[in-house]
Amino acid sequence: MNKVASRRSILKKVVAGTGMLTFPISLSEAFAASEKALGPKLNGKINHSVCKWCYGKIPLDTFAQDCKKIGLKSIELLGPEEWPVIKKYGLTCALPWGEGLTKSIDKGFNDPANHDELVKGFEDVIPKVRAAGYDKIICFSGNRRGMSDADGMRNCAVGIKRLIPIAEKHNVTLVMELLNSKVNHRDYMCDRTEWGAALCEMIGSEKFKLLYDIYHMQIQEGDVIATIKKYHKYIAHYHTGGVPGRNEIDETQELYYPSIMKAIIDTGYKGFVGQEFIPSRKDDLASLKQGVTICDIA
Amino acid sequence: MSNRRTALKNIAASTAGILSISEVFAATEKALGPNLKGKINHSVCKWCYNSIPLETFAQECKKIGISSIELLGPADWPILKKYGLTCALPNGAGMGIEKGFNDLANHDELVKSYEDIFPKLKDAGYTTVICFSGNRRGMSDIDGMRNSAIGLRRLMPSAEKHGVTMIMELLNSKVNHKDYMCDHTSWGAGLCEMVGSENFKLLYDIYHMSIMEGDVIATIKKYHKYIAHYHTGGVPGRNEIDEGQELYYPAIMKAIAETGFKGFVAQEFIPKREPIASLKQCVEICDIA
Repeated sequence: MNKVASRRSILKKVVAGTGMLTFPISLSEAFAASEKALGPKLNGKINHSVCKWCYGKIPLDTFAQDCKKIGLKSIELLGPEEWPVIKKYGLTCALPWGEGLTKSIDKGFNDPANHDELVKGFEDVIPKVRAAGYDKIICFSGNRRGMSDADGMRNCAVGIKRLIPIAEKHNVTLVMELLNSKVNHRDYMCDRTEWGAALCEMIGSEKFKLLYDIYHMQIQEGDVIATIKKYHKYIAHYHTGGVPGRNEIDETQELYYPSIMKAIIDTGYKGFVGQEFIPSRKDDLASLKQGVTICDIA
Repeated sequence: MSNRRTALKNIAASTAGILSISEVFAATEKALGPNLKGKINHSVCKWCYNSIPLETFAQECKKIGISSIELLGPADWPILKKYGLTCALPNGAGMGIEKGFNDLANHDELVKSYEDIFPKLKDAGYTTVICFSGNRRGMSDIDGMRNSAIGLRRLMPSAEKHGVTMIMELLNSKVNHKDYMCDHTSWGAGLCEMVGSENFKLLYDIYHMSIMEGDVIATIKKYHKYIAHYHTGGVPGRNEIDEGQELYYPAIMKAIAETGFKGFVAQEFIPKREPIASLKQCVEICDIA
């Protein structure tokens, strides 16, 4: 934003405040306004989480304290050994992951050859998830390797159905991530929301749902709000990220996240939104705070 | 953000106790003028303001600083000229959206129709004209591309002679134009290569393409040499491009400007609110510095 633009829009906002005219406010104005109005307190409409891997250099202990300060309630994509660290700070793990093959992206449920190992891995971790007081675990489809959509879906359903009894027993939902296969995860199979939704129907249990990653899906298929409205009953978790580039979700990229958050809330969603962008600026915690604030709709 | 804060402070400081807020607004509007920044050339599609007579609409556009009203045919061009406006993307030839160049059966009629309008465009001083692929009707992407190229190539010598670029619109086939063929940027770019003339390009409609394929900025960066025109619209719903929808247009405009684009960006949203105020708002949203 340049000075003239800033001046104009601020003036307009000021004038709008007098009741003369109404103009939309920009992302940075929204940020500034809510920062001022709310301080470190968040609105409570969105449950905020963050993916630890985007802040790889910061020790989890330190990061947990920083997250508390920002108002985040969860740090996610953490395994059993890391859960005690965040518990210490009263944080939850909205979307845990397991170990070994269970957290492999390119080798997943679409290949029957992986099923025995995946079932064993998830059977091992699901009771731990429950014992920690968590209710989700991430999983992946795996890459296509020449397989058709229909065969991959059927294979996934066959493998995941083996885990549904234990998932139901421990009240843990397996959440499969939607990823783009265009830029970041070439050949990944679960790359379209409609494919994931059909897999949910094929499995036929509330203990299998989707992670709709807004960044990945805007790259792969677009039409974010309409897609969320159409498929929300299959979605148990959301991730963010700036498009293109997967950096800050602010005015440097093409999505207007406050509208998307509003659409998510309008579906009645009560789960978490996990920030999963790679900070491009030096002060990565300031970027995290900004991302949370942008999503923190009133 | 610091800019905005500083600006607000400066305004507050320089006006405290001197001018009322409306005076400040008026002064700034006067100082900055109704003039826009000049980085984006603004156009607007008339059909979104159907209830407003063209003469009235032209005057309103002038006030906002819009320099073109588009998707108008020869009969309307003199009215635009009267107000010093151009027509960045005229229409007036072809067989509609659903019947286009992808069907060989349409080629004779299409060639005649475009041959007829080229001299009129040249006389009016216009350099573009819109065209469409037509619907698939069971046709494969490859056959439709080949058919389209065969028909368009018949027109290229005349288009080149008259200095007119035929611009095919990319539309979504998911919500608004079911079965339309030119619904992916990669298909359109392939067709441009097959036609092989600088006088055939694409209209990248941001609304339609965000619905159909997403990844707007990366797509523009990748294919911009095939793109001669842009349209806007809020996603979803095709209304105002403000905070009521999912795209952040200033970032998209910045990406367009960075490709070296010198053409027009036309507002093509359906106003939900007072139409002229909405038009002004959306032009300003796109008017990056």
